[in-house]
Amino acid sequence: MDFDLLFRLRYFDCKRRNAFRLGEPTRPSLDRTQRERVRPGGSTLQNAAEAPEDSRASYQNDRFIEVRDANLAFGHRQVFKGLSCQFAKGKVHLLLGGSGTGKSTLLRMIGGLQRPDSGEVRVANQSLTNLRERDLGQIRKGIGMLFQNGALLDSMSVLENIGLPLREHTKESPSAIRERVAEVLASVGLDRVEALLPRQLSGGMLRRVAFARAIVMEPEILLCDEPFSGLDPLNVSRIEDLLMQLNRDLGLTIVVTSHHMASSLRMAKQMILLRDGGCIAGTPEELADSSDEGIVEFLGEDGRAYLARLHELRERGEA
Amino acid sequence: MIGAIRDLGSRSSGLIEGMGQIATFGSELVFALPRPPSRFGFLLRALYDAGVLSVALLCLSGFTVGMVLGLQLYTTLTRFGAEEGLGAVVGLSLVRELGPVLTGLLVTGRAGSAITAEIGSMKATEQLDGLRMMAIDPVHFVAMPRALALTLAMPLLNGLFIVFAIAGAYSIGVSLQGLDGGVYLSGLENAVRFGDDVGQSLVKSLVFGALLGLISTYKGYSCQPDAAGVARATTSTVVTASVCILLSDYMITAFWDV
Repeated sequence: MDFDLLFRLRYFDCKRRNAFRLGEPTRPSLDRTQRERVRPGGSTLQNAAEAPEDSRASYQNDRFIEVRDANLAFGHRQVFKGLSCQFAKGKVHLLLGGSGTGKSTLLRMIGGLQRPDSGEVRVANQSLTNLRERDLGQIRKGIGMLFQNGALLDSMSVLENIGLPLREHTKESPSAIRERVAEVLASVGLDRVEALLPRQLSGGMLRRVAFARAIVMEPEILLCDEPFSGLDPLNVSRIEDLLMQLNRDLGLTIVVTSHHMASSLRMAKQMILLRDGGCIAGTPEELADSSDEGIVEFLGEDGRAYLARLHELRERGEA
Repeated sequence: MIGAIRDLGSRSSGLIEGMGQIATFGSELVFALPRPPSRFGFLLRALYDAGVLSVALLCLSGFTVGMVLGLQLYTTLTRFGAEEGLGAVVGLSLVRELGPVLTGLLVTGRAGSAITAEIGSMKATEQLDGLRMMAIDPVHFVAMPRALALTLAMPLLNGLFIVFAIAGAYSIGVSLQGLDGGVYLSGLENAVRFGDDVGQSLVKSLVFGALLGLISTYKGYSCQPDAAGVARATTSTVVTASVCILLSDYMITAFWDV
């Protein structure tokens, strides 16, 4: 992969669309009251996040999502062997690793869809391991998830798909839901697709609709499994901008798995490389400077050079 | 020898575990029934899919079964000089046994397998997980309306099947063989008792509908999330539901008069 070329193209693109990146969102950011309106009231995540003690809050924020000594096997294949990692509140985390290293499985574990054979997964200081499905539902109200294949309900229109969580968990009127759906669709660059069924959408449109559904409730945690796959460069940068805007304006904690290295590396404040059932975590700069063979091999020379250059530009405040 | 015993033990524990899982799923379905929000829209859609779309098949099958019954019974009864009893025999056999059983088997093949395939493919494409991540219970959202629709549709389809079968037997016995129409209908009316025969038919079809609803949604919900898994689950639904319908038919018949 030519990271340098990608970087230059992207950097030029950023400059050209500077107005958007400096705080002119495609849709107006919701104020706190509006956010409360669309968010299911009193979600467990919000309560746990508002810890009174400063030091305790800081500790909890650093471990907003925590995986402790997780083991998981599918048949004879051991996916996780004592995996432990943390995801800090309000940061963008990039999950890296080759195929079959468990990136999607880790996202599913955080969402409570997959229980580890042993070990613990904690979200907002609450253990998911022994929760019943109904209690997990309370936690999931604060989590948005973009599945690799979209996971849209194929018997429902785009409007019904995106409006579904609003219809289920808020008392919004149908017209308000329609308005909100149009708003999130615009933010992912889609217009007049509300009446279409998922099978009538192209692959890229389908992923953007799925992304719109994941963010429509403005969750506190956003889990994105390959958000850029199947998208053209313009839409890659649109989704990237949107993710960064959500992180910046609403303080979303975002966990992304992606093979689209340029966008992922640009967004990530923390990188977690899954390998041999465990992980290596660090900031992009730390991983770029690492002499660990696995990291060097995975990032390659281009990736490390790209990270170094990105770091340099960040230092100068240009990226 | 030890291997065979181990295999038997493993299969037995697997069977018991499977029964436990289906019982748990069944209780989830029952508890999901009264839980808000209402799924009336989904119930209507499921009733249309399972019920309305099965009407043509049931009418045609009912009429054909009635024609065969009319022909066979008229020939047999004529040997004993009892052809006037055609209406009574047709009515009783259809209302008490053939109607609910054949309707159950036909709906299993048409709607039960379709429900398993639909839910199974939803599982394979992570749509059920997508619902979970939106804090929506898939049992309440997907399985419950379909299972309820099958339970409600089955007695209605059973009634339709019986009416068309009686008409089919009439067309053969009266129009073709020359039996008096009044004799046929009065024999039917005198033989079939509402509380006993129609009641048994109604109970059987309700039980078959509930069983089919449970089995078809459970098989879809618990299948392996791939194409082969969905295909296996669909076949398993048809086999399991057919056997359960026949077994429960015997049980209800045996215990009805006790």
